[in-house]
Amino acid sequence: MLCDDCKKKPATVDFKEVLPGKVIVLHLCEDCAHKRGLMMDRKMSPFELLQKLLAKRSAKDEQVICQSCYLSLAEFKRQGRFGCSHCIEQFRPHIENLIKQIHRSNKHVGRRPKQGVRKSFNVFKLREELRCALEKEAYEEAAHIRDRLKDFGADDVE
Amino acid sequence: MLNNIKWLVLAKQSGDSSEDREIVVSSRIRLARNLSDFPFEIKLKSKDSERLLELSRSVIEGKYLGQYIDMRKLASLERESLLECHLISPAFLKMNKPTGLYLSEDGDISIMINEEDHLRIQGLTGGLNLTDVSANVFEYEEKIGEELNYAFDEAYGFLTSCPTNLGTGLRASVLLHLPGLVFTSEVEKVLRGALQIGMAVRGLYGEGSEIKGSLFQISNQHTLGLKEEELIQTIIKLTHMITDIEKKARDTIFTKAKHEFEDKIFRSLAVLRSARIMSTDETLNLLSALRFGIGTGTIKDVSLDVVNEIMLVARPANIQLYFGQILEEHERDIRRAEYIREKLSGKSQITKTK
Repeated sequence: MLCDDCKKKPATVDFKEVLPGKVIVLHLCEDCAHKRGLMMDRKMSPFELLQKLLAKRSAKDEQVICQSCYLSLAEFKRQGRFGCSHCIEQFRPHIENLIKQIHRSNKHVGRRPKQGVRKSFNVFKLREELRCALEKEAYEEAAHIRDRLKDFGADDVE
Repeated sequence: MLNNIKWLVLAKQSGDSSEDREIVVSSRIRLARNLSDFPFEIKLKSKDSERLLELSRSVIEGKYLGQYIDMRKLASLERESLLECHLISPAFLKMNKPTGLYLSEDGDISIMINEEDHLRIQGLTGGLNLTDVSANVFEYEEKIGEELNYAFDEAYGFLTSCPTNLGTGLRASVLLHLPGLVFTSEVEKVLRGALQIGMAVRGLYGEGSEIKGSLFQISNQHTLGLKEEELIQTIIKLTHMITDIEKKARDTIFTKAKHEFEDKIFRSLAVLRSARIMSTDETLNLLSALRFGIGTGTIKDVSLDVVNEIMLVARPANIQLYFGQILEEHERDIRRAEYIREKLSGKSQITKTK
């Protein structure tokens, strides 16, 4: 089948749009699909899309900082990588759109971790406790929390 | 330590009886998982990465037999070999952190520790076997998850370093051999179709690698918003579709130019059986013709297992490990030709373990 637009090259892209009362079906070659602006997002891989979206920066990005690993939103945009499991919840309002665009979805529907008895150790919470303890000038308690953090190798805390 | 070819034997994608094995070379599933209590890769300090390595290792070893490989203790040739066997990723070799690799007893599962994500659990087998491979991979994932907390978010699923892996953290891929589509110049059209439905198409060694020997890798690009089973089923369906088109292309070729193609196939076999100097690329191309010949029933006295084994062992690092010595490129080409001749006459040392 030849392209509906140029009638020269073979049609390799099928485009279908459902409008009220009618359905438009187009069979186009890649060049003509480009001309109509239909190939833009489809051709970009999630990774390329991510690079493009991360390039949109704002001066405020430096001030959005993950309270657990101290990664800033600006640094996240430079590296394209999260710093820890808490970044996502702290950056959420700033990255919701980005994730939706690269995955065409914003909701996980797959498997979940099995709930079991696990020895969990939440660095994030401990750091909060440490901060409170220091504010209260409860140094003995702070030292104790710091030891527990150290046990887990998270001894980068001032 | 150059004679360590244990994983070479393990990595031979074992002979299974799955359909269309000459078209679907192998199936692979990889899961990205991070532990919630450790910073992710870019924020992981070297002391933390040591801890993570030891912790993961002890959990895995407590549950499974198999071997743990400290990547720091390997010679660069051995590291390259693991890559050639598809047991590790190219990125894994570039990590500037302590890294470890767990290999299951049968070689079907490999777990990279301290890659871009804390754990990359991978399953690999010959033929189209994504369902079995995924069952195996998920069993490991669950068992390890009994003791280690995976980073998880209600909306974004399993959390990963890179936003492109969020959700399932699952990448399913198949390696396809499509000479029919290459000869009939239909390959671009078919693969573009795959891209249109959100799949990635790559060469033999994944991202950015060249297409060689008519081998193409197809995998899912999106990891969020679909169930694992749906992602896997999409790849399976697509593989069946492409396999059918490939078979039709082969029929066309054989109706139009039977003698020409038989000639090409038998000449390739003759060169493999007689050549004295053989480069990696030439090997891949000749093996492609040979695989094609086996698939079309033209060649009956060489098995697919032999082709698969040569494809693996003939690679630059593997061939050196096979002979147990470091070889310069020219020397390598000579020894590679020697190995292939022996293998095709049935005299080689590594024999199929079945």
